[in-house]
Amino acid sequence: MHIMEGFLPSPWWEIWFIVSLPFIVIGLYQLNKLVQEKREALPLLAVAGAFVFVLSSLKLPSFNGSCSHPTGTGLGAILFGPCIAAVLGLIVLVFQAVFLAHGGLTTLGANVFSMGIAGPIVAYLVYKAGIRAGANTYATVFVAAALADLVTYVVTSIQLALAFPGTAGFLGAFSAFAAVFAVTQVPLAIIEGAVIMLVFKYIVQLKPEILTSLNLLPESTVQKLREAAA
Amino acid sequence: MYEVLDDFAQTNGLRETSPGLKLFVGLSSILLCVSSPGPAAPLLVAATMSAAILALAKIPARFYARLLLVPVSFAVMSIAVVLFVTGSGAVLLEVPGLPLAITAGGANLALLLLTRVFGGMCSLYFIALTTPMTEIFDILRRLRVPTVFIDLAMLTYRFIFILIEEAGQIYRSQVMRLGYGRFRESVRSFSMLAGALFIRTWESGEALVLAMDARCYDGRLGFPGEARPVSALALAAALLYLSAVFGVSLSTGGLVIV
Repeated sequence: MHIMEGFLPSPWWEIWFIVSLPFIVIGLYQLNKLVQEKREALPLLAVAGAFVFVLSSLKLPSFNGSCSHPTGTGLGAILFGPCIAAVLGLIVLVFQAVFLAHGGLTTLGANVFSMGIAGPIVAYLVYKAGIRAGANTYATVFVAAALADLVTYVVTSIQLALAFPGTAGFLGAFSAFAAVFAVTQVPLAIIEGAVIMLVFKYIVQLKPEILTSLNLLPESTVQKLREAAA
Repeated sequence: MYEVLDDFAQTNGLRETSPGLKLFVGLSSILLCVSSPGPAAPLLVAATMSAAILALAKIPARFYARLLLVPVSFAVMSIAVVLFVTGSGAVLLEVPGLPLAITAGGANLALLLLTRVFGGMCSLYFIALTTPMTEIFDILRRLRVPTVFIDLAMLTYRFIFILIEEAGQIYRSQVMRLGYGRFRESVRSFSMLAGALFIRTWESGEALVLAMDARCYDGRLGFPGEARPVSALALAAALLYLSAVFGVSLSTGGLVIV
């Protein structure tokens, strides 16, 4: 959920910039290190960023016919870790703001936090926990992507409720914003989970080297998944 | 649509104006909109930015109107919530049967937000339609943004156009084969599209690594930037405009910093 340009008043947009800043700095540091170690990482990261942009600018089939779109950052977080996903999210959000007027420049901090940081961190943690616990890989990816989407929307509601508590107070405003967005966002989260899961499945079937070269899945698991699919 | 936006950015009437100045005007207008306590200043920004886009940059009015309609849905949803949640002042309208009421305070805040969003949107489009991304990268470099970030942003930017083209082709061929007929099918088709797109992009990324290696890539991308000087007249006009907006903002209730 993008918060539009001009929607967040001072001091909230400044606060969200400050909150997002450390993640971006850590992400840039990690990125620098990664690129110095593996030169081929930069083009691949760029491709992943462009993929997130294109995915989020395509309309998903949605129940209520509204223009909903997936965030796509869950996949980035699973592939590269949450801090680098935050940098990718920042780049994608700047392009979306400047090309599509999705989101905005003053609300960039808030949007980076909800879509580029909170969602990806949840996706990453869920994915790691699921893999460690030996859960079904596809189910883990589904839960991670769907939760990332849900968390993004909850965080957006929190951001809006903090900025506009009204007379209902923070909790009242939060439930109002959350209720309005839940209509589109809950089905969307489930669809996004399914889509990312199927994308993951195609990658395992057609180009598993991507996953093993990034140390996301051990060779043996990929082998097992491919045999199960065959 | 994206190609079209970028085409306009490359060919518009303000193409030869210094990109730094255009960015400065756009960003300052956005900041003035956000910090304005009354709806007058954002409306002024929206009007002047639209005038600049239509008259100076010569963007077709029809295309610009279509662009402005894009972000409407989110604005309507969130502003409706603000309208009902904020309650202060006289009750203007009550929804029968529900504990919902529009009050004067809520209506004022909603109006202010609507104008702020509108003014911000026009300023964003002013930047998007007059300044090509490549020139923004050049400015970022001069502002000493980390190189790795600019390189990544530039490569991402390049790939967006390639991918959109490819996604469009896959999508059209899926539609031709009735891939989006029913709900279940559309989820399946969309996943197939995303999966195929991801694998293809990854492969083109690998191809790019090879191509860059073959041309002695050493972890640094060099792009020549041409500096376009700021003309004194343009600078004066920009400052005059911004101070006028600032003046309107001040005269309609002071500046809200916090």
